[in-house]
Amino acid sequence: MDNINVLIIEDTPAQSDALIKVLLENNYTVAGVARDFTSALKLFYECSVDVIIIDVFLDGKPDGITFAESINIIPNASKPFVFLTSSQDRQIFERAKLTKPFSFLMKPFNELEILYAIEMAVEKFYEQTNVFLSEEQNTVVSNDFLFIKKKNALKKVALNDILYIEVEERYCNIVTEKEKFVILISLTKISELLDKAKFLRIHRNTIVNSDKIEEIILADNLIILKGNHKINLGDTYKDFIKKMNILS
Amino acid sequence: MNLKINKILFCFLFILPFFLYSQSKEINLFEKKILQEKAVQFNGENNFVKAQSFYLKKDWDSTLVYSMKQLSVSENKNLSDYCHYFRGQCFFNKKFYKEAQNELSLISEKFELSHMKNFVLGVTHLETKKLNKALEYFQLAEKQSITVKDLKYLSNIYSGLGTTYIFLKQYSLAEKYLLKNISLCEKYQNNDKTSNAYTNLAALYYELYKDDLAIFYYTKSYNLSQKSKDFKLKNLTSFNMSIVEENRGNLKKALEYRKEADQWKDSANNQNKIWAIAELEKKFAVAQKQKQIKVLKVENQLKNNQRNGLFVSAIVLLLLLTSGVYFYAQKVKNAKTILIQRNKLDQLNNHKDQLFSIVSHDLRSSVNALKTSNSKLSDSLQTKNYEQLNQLITQNSSIANDTYSLLDNLLHWAMLQTKQLYFHKESVHLYSIVQQIEYNYKSLLQEKEIRFENLVPKNIFLFVDLDSLKIIFRNLLDNAIKFSKQNGEIRFYTAEVNSEFLQIIIEDSGIGMSENTISELLQDSETLVKKNNSEIIGTGLGLQLCKQMTAKNGGTFSIESEINKGTKIILTLPKIK
Repeated sequence: MDNINVLIIEDTPAQSDALIKVLLENNYTVAGVARDFTSALKLFYECSVDVIIIDVFLDGKPDGITFAESINIIPNASKPFVFLTSSQDRQIFERAKLTKPFSFLMKPFNELEILYAIEMAVEKFYEQTNVFLSEEQNTVVSNDFLFIKKKNALKKVALNDILYIEVEERYCNIVTEKEKFVILISLTKISELLDKAKFLRIHRNTIVNSDKIEEIILADNLIILKGNHKINLGDTYKDFIKKMNILS
Repeated sequence: MNLKINKILFCFLFILPFFLYSQSKEINLFEKKILQEKAVQFNGENNFVKAQSFYLKKDWDSTLVYSMKQLSVSENKNLSDYCHYFRGQCFFNKKFYKEAQNELSLISEKFELSHMKNFVLGVTHLETKKLNKALEYFQLAEKQSITVKDLKYLSNIYSGLGTTYIFLKQYSLAEKYLLKNISLCEKYQNNDKTSNAYTNLAALYYELYKDDLAIFYYTKSYNLSQKSKDFKLKNLTSFNMSIVEENRGNLKKALEYRKEADQWKDSANNQNKIWAIAELEKKFAVAQKQKQIKVLKVENQLKNNQRNGLFVSAIVLLLLLTSGVYFYAQKVKNAKTILIQRNKLDQLNNHKDQLFSIVSHDLRSSVNALKTSNSKLSDSLQTKNYEQLNQLITQNSSIANDTYSLLDNLLHWAMLQTKQLYFHKESVHLYSIVQQIEYNYKSLLQEKEIRFENLVPKNIFLFVDLDSLKIIFRNLLDNAIKFSKQNGEIRFYTAEVNSEFLQIIIEDSGIGMSENTISELLQDSETLVKKNNSEIIGTGLGLQLCKQMTAKNGGTFSIESEINKGTKIILTLPKIK
């Protein structure tokens, strides 16, 4: 599990310092702090960023929104935004609303509010609302990552690292090459959200990452994954083999 | 003598057609009566009615047309008899004797006007010199006219008979009938006819060389003709007289008569001219009338135009009037609205001023408190009384917090009033929000040693505007802390209402408030209540804001309280669906 990378775009050092403090305390990684529009763009392209916290007004101009707008026009570049603002000026909000999805945070804000805003931004961005705060689920699935809420902070797991997922009642065991942990999500839901070409259901309880398959032993109903993980193959789930390009 | 007779014969022959022609010139009363009766009887037969009316007007051509039409349509024997009769008369009058005979011979036996028919047949035969046939018809006509007692018409028949006998040279019979004719004429007919009858008899006597009698009747005829207006008759009698005188050898008298005759002839010609002129005049008059009609038409049109113009202008005026009335009403309405708005504005302005004074008073006192506290702080620093420092700083920050929340409320209230507040309903996790609000008040709660409990279930999501919900909670928690005693208790919890709404209850164990205060606070008026509790800063603005924000989120706001036991604020807000 990795930390979430946060890019901060904030012109006031006092504010950004407070933010950094809160984020670090809650096991987030600060990817960078930009003071203005251009450095923000530069940082955005240089670093790997998961969430961006943007002050609406940079040096008295609503450059924060301009930044969000310019990111939004680039396909697949956009990330979850949290806007910071001290004004409840309707016009600014209306403009920011166009850069949906977004989350707002009114200054002054406290630690809890920042964390809540970040979670909201991620949920809204990936269109899986009411996840982190509900008691049934704690994971949002994106194309590249699983965002998992652990205690107060968000964590992420790259989908490419996952070997297989195994269900256990309401929980799912996520097994990567290095670690193994439990998330709260139903198997049906996660299999809906994952790319079906890549993640294959091979058993009533198991989904495997097809990239990690090393060997399929049909005689023993066994699949061997990277790191020598042996998975049972369910009889009713053998059809997936037909869809694979098999070299004979 | 031979020459003389010839002359008279010539003159006699001249008389006959004239006499017959004049016969038919006036319509016999007997005939007219019967025809009118028939017209009434056959009212439905348009062609017949028209034919008879044209016949009575002596419009022969039209009569021919309509009688032919009637003949082609009708099967009625009686009607066709009349039509043939009309046609016979017409042809006779137009001097087509053969055709007249053909038509008249088609008439059946039982015809009411048989005697006239037969008379006309007689005349046509006489005209075509079939004297025996003529005689036959005349005699038949005589009998019939006696049976229908048309004595007036009988004279015509006698005259015809007389004439026929003259041609047949049966002079005694001729004399007998002509005398009968005269006697009838004197009784029933007018002077012209009588005069003609005398002339006929005179001619007969001349033929018989009874010159004295002839001269007697010629003279009689001449005298009668003097009373007549018929110039031709006058010419004739004068001419006859001149021949009579000439034969007597009285040439001077003859010349006089001849001159008179010439004069009457001229007169007759003149009369023709006069008629022509009259005709012209008539035409002229008709043209004049036509002109007049045209003028009248134009006048009418003008009048029409004028009337239309008047009508249009009346409508335009009416429209103007109604629009005027409408605009006036509109203006009055506008003035009313403006008045209402002005009153409302005045009221609002009053509220604003009131708020202004309260807020500035509160601000002044809190800033003043800060000032005194700060001077105390610097005193303590100088006297190095470090123990008191901490307490003073806490006091300062609490004053600053109060002032900040006051200003924050003021800002939100202003924005709400001017409708500038951004308002966006979304899914909100209630538990987290309560936690977030509590986080800010942790130090205050600790200071007063108040126990805070967030009993909100973690699976509740509301559908509200996040920031307004925070404002509501902040104010309510602030109030709850303010009115709580040391070691008090504050609890946030929920109660299900239905599938759409949820109750959120904020309960404290503070000083509570009276029913009066509650009703004052819940009043819909926007006036702000200055609280009795002067020690605690407050304008009532916070609660007003809570009420308005709750309403804006589609919820309700109520208060339950008991003095010295505590207060329950109950919010009802929509859940996410």
